[in-house]
Amino acid sequence: MKLLRFIYSLQLLAPLFVCAQAPPQIPAAALAQLQVAQPLVDVSSPATATAEFDPPVVRAGEKTFYHVSVGATQNSIEWPAEISAPAELNFGAAARGEVTRLDGSRFRPLTAFAYEVTTSVTGHFTVSNFVVTAGEQRVEIPAASLDVVETNAGPPARRLLLEVSETNLFFGQPFRVRALLPAAAGNQIEALRDVQFNGSGFMTDKFATRASIENISHGGQSRPAYVHEVVMTPLTAGPMNISAQAFTAGRDFGGPIVISGQVTIPGGPPKYILLFSAPLQLNVRPLPTDGELPGFTGAMGKFITDKPLLSTNRVRVGEPLRLKFNFNAGTNLVRLVPPSAPRSREWQIIAGKPGQNLFTLIPLTDEATNTPAIPFCAFDPVVKTYYDLTIPALPVTVMNDGLPVQLAAWNADEKNLAPLKLSALAEAPGKSMASLKPLQKQGWFVVLQIVPVLGFIVLWRWDERRRFLEAHPEIVRRRKALRDLCIEKKKLQAAIAAGDLEKFVMHAATAMRIAVAPHFPAAARAMVGGDVLSLLDERQQGGREGVAVRKIFAAADAQFSRSPQSTADLMSLRADVAATLQTLEEKL
Amino acid sequence: MRRIFLLLILMMDSGGQDRALAEDLFTPGTGAIRAGDFPTAAADFQRSIQQRPSSGALVNLGIAEWQCGHAGVAILAWEQAQWIDPSDARAIQNLKFARTVAQVDAPELRWFESASTWLPPNAWVWLAGAGLWLAVGSLVLPRVLRWKKSGGQQTLAAFGLCIFLFSLTANLGVVSRTDIGFVVRKNVALRMTPTSGSELLSALSPGEPVRRLKSRGNYFFIRTPMATGWVERGQVGFINE
Repeated sequence: MKLLRFIYSLQLLAPLFVCAQAPPQIPAAALAQLQVAQPLVDVSSPATATAEFDPPVVRAGEKTFYHVSVGATQNSIEWPAEISAPAELNFGAAARGEVTRLDGSRFRPLTAFAYEVTTSVTGHFTVSNFVVTAGEQRVEIPAASLDVVETNAGPPARRLLLEVSETNLFFGQPFRVRALLPAAAGNQIEALRDVQFNGSGFMTDKFATRASIENISHGGQSRPAYVHEVVMTPLTAGPMNISAQAFTAGRDFGGPIVISGQVTIPGGPPKYILLFSAPLQLNVRPLPTDGELPGFTGAMGKFITDKPLLSTNRVRVGEPLRLKFNFNAGTNLVRLVPPSAPRSREWQIIAGKPGQNLFTLIPLTDEATNTPAIPFCAFDPVVKTYYDLTIPALPVTVMNDGLPVQLAAWNADEKNLAPLKLSALAEAPGKSMASLKPLQKQGWFVVLQIVPVLGFIVLWRWDERRRFLEAHPEIVRRRKALRDLCIEKKKLQAAIAAGDLEKFVMHAATAMRIAVAPHFPAAARAMVGGDVLSLLDERQQGGREGVAVRKIFAAADAQFSRSPQSTADLMSLRADVAATLQTLEEKL
Repeated sequence: MRRIFLLLILMMDSGGQDRALAEDLFTPGTGAIRAGDFPTAAADFQRSIQQRPSSGALVNLGIAEWQCGHAGVAILAWEQAQWIDPSDARAIQNLKFARTVAQVDAPELRWFESASTWLPPNAWVWLAGAGLWLAVGSLVLPRVLRWKKSGGQQTLAAFGLCIFLFSLTANLGVVSRTDIGFVVRKNVALRMTPTSGSELLSALSPGEPVRRLKSRGNYFFIRTPMATGWVERGQVGFINE
């Protein structure tokens, strides 16, 4: 219980010893700025409108401008497509714009409409009042009068002048555009605000905007003018119209300005009047495709290259080095799109951030001896050709890490073991192969496997044939008889050629025996003349063949008798013997 | 028959000529490596291998390339030496050393691929052929030649069949191992698609083992122990090429 009471007392005293984390400290000035409410934009007050001709008195044929200002936002105003005005007044080019002005403690929107008006008729003309809707309000535009007289000594209508550095351009070629407001009487100069260039197909470089007051030549005389200058780039090819509009802003220059010449700057609050210029037509040509060099990124203008610089010329594989390059141009009417990183097998190339003008190069191999050449070119619109700006290859030494040939080896007890090292050289080629490609993947070896298969097929066919012949021995006998008969016939022919009657008889008889033996079947030597005759048909038996068989076999048998017969006429039987043998052979 | 015989003689003779040329290039290569001229030695051994690949030339080529700082090429050469002669002690020692230094793993082999490393690749195919025809012959020939049936013939057929079946798997391993390659260049880009502008998945170290899964145009689709992707031809070397 005492312990709990002690802990509770400590908890009560804790705030005395423990400090909370301090909140972030904001400077007093910043805090005050946060606390000051920014002026509101007043869109709820009743909108008022003014209308006037500037100048209100002109000569016949002279230009004047019909200005209407409405204290409402441009989007909220339902402006009529045509102004109801006397028929003698010709309403020409028009412009509209919105500006926000500080009125007391509130911002108020102001929308201005301006029309170029001309007439050739003298007289007093009035554009009557009319009503437009601004949001939920109905705003009455008051009437405005114009006097057109024969002669007028008053100043002409104020309007913007527009100048461009080039009217015949190439696609992507930067050009300078100047909106000028000449000084009024007494060299009174007014600033311009919310300068806007109307037209499509070009891009304005916001970073090249410049304002100045300088003397210009206008209407044959030199006079000061407020100059608003920007650099533009055409984005489409073809004819292009451009015009400028801006609000006069009195002495509200919006920042520092360079003034040359003597001018008078009016005092008092600014009067916001919408002025606009006559349109200018530009001709934008496409870039030629002939003669385009590698590495064209859209760079336009005349550049001079500095020598590229390497952060180091000795580098290890995988270590980055920086390649810094620089292109100088004489004017700001150039467009530099840095070269893009090419692909290289030996280098990894990383382009720097825009404006850095550098590449980070990482060697991927120690075989690289140069940095890669980075192709780049630009188009010179003056001479109308592409020219080479390639960043050249620079010599570098890429070092290898080096590979050891021996490593100390340690076991768990940190005792030095035999070191790991490369082996000694092989002294002889050793085992070899005709090719590293294994036989399994070589087509000829697969074909070679067919050979044993064919061998087995042949063996099987042979065995099958052999078994067939064993089942049909008469085929074997007939084949043998044919072979023997062929041999015997040759011997018979030899005997006839030699005139050896004895051999003639012997071979003729033997041949006949061989030819008839398979029919019985029996051994050839067991055959007699009767066997031969039995195989001849009746006509042959009784004819010359039968006679020849009988005589041959009689003569053959007589060779073994004691009183051999006369065989002198037997050689004349050779034709009959041949015919008989032919008959017998056909029956085999 | 005579023509076939002459053709065989000519083939054997050309093989002998290749061997002689390879040996002629082996000797100056060894001399250059002893003199410390490693690039020349590597070129000599390359030419020797083009004539006739041998384990000794590949071991020495690996040593020359290692001294030139080309770890990937060296590891590939020693793997090829082991491919020709699986028991080459120098190749085994150098591969162990190189992988320790380069911090790369040996390729992961499947069981039938491991079995195929016991003998040179061509030995397996001859063994398979011998086993098959021994089995077929033991079964067919006694019947054809009307030998008396015996238990020995059947035992021989069973033995041949066993050899054939075992070597069949080893042959499968040999064929499968031809898709094993090694990264031969430094920081080889492993890409997501087979195009030079595709996204990089990883950079491969020299000597790192890869397995070729398919090829398309100038690229191989490979699998490494860490990832799969496409690499350009020429940045990976294969055992049988």
